[in-house]
Amino acid sequence: MPRYHNINGVRVQFTAEEETARDAEEKAWADGQLDRDLFELRNKRNRLLTETDWWGASDNTMTADQTKYRKDLRDLTNGLDTVDKVKNVTWPTKPS
Amino acid sequence: MATYKSIAYDQALSAGGSQVLLSETTASGDSTISITSGIDSTYKEYIFRFINLHPSANDSTISWQANASGESGYNETITSTSFRATHYESGSGGELAYLTASDQAEGTAVQTLSDSIGSDNDQSICGELTLYDPSSTTFVKHWAARISVTTHSDAMNDRHTAGYINTTGAITEIQFTPSSGTIDAGTIKLYGVL
Repeated sequence: MPRYHNINGVRVQFTAEEETARDAEEKAWADGQLDRDLFELRNKRNRLLTETDWWGASDNTMTADQTKYRKDLRDLTNGLDTVDKVKNVTWPTKPS
Repeated sequence: MATYKSIAYDQALSAGGSQVLLSETTASGDSTISITSGIDSTYKEYIFRFINLHPSANDSTISWQANASGESGYNETITSTSFRATHYESGSGGELAYLTASDQAEGTAVQTLSDSIGSDNDQSICGELTLYDPSSTTFVKHWAARISVTTHSDAMNDRHTAGYINTTGAITEIQFTPSSGTIDAGTIKLYGVL
């Protein structure tokens, strides 16, 4: 299916060279999916870690469950080398 | 009683100047959208306003680049920063993130306006990109964008991006592109600010 430019409202079909270049751009974008998904996962992971930073205050002693939760969050990205693994990651449950 | 004229005048004052609609481009399955007329020395400030731009591909971005007068290709040198606030429909989120994938340091790649856009029928982006003094032969060309995004993961992204095109040549053309697929619908309005 041909691609089109919209130039000031006028549609102009891509040339063969433009189609080839665009194919390469779209492939590069698709190849970056894992990195983008890991970025989003780390953002969420870091937020969850930040929410529990106070557990480590000097006047508080973390429970074993709290320690494990934070370690599981830090280790969450271990082995995540495919898009499917990132999408299906199991998040640790925050101890009550 | 206030007259229409006085109200319009007051609005122009509060906005810092009145806006003149220069063009309106409607997307329809386009791989690129270029605006190559109307950007000149007439105004010191130009606003591209995006109304419900809708991509065909899920989890895609919409980016832009510029072309300076007398040059070829949308590949000007840009230095930029980008950050966003995210909040999910589920109530989770509420986080800020600096977006290293969207900043540039003297780069010539397309500049991301928004990422993670969803392609459900009701998902789109709205917002605006302001380009300052594009015809200056003295200064670099500053720009700033703020975009409201419905993401593919059902979240709201408030996306802030700003930077400058590092050229003293006149910028006369702007092109918008999705990361993949097409921009299937939506409108880009170009305003000049008096």
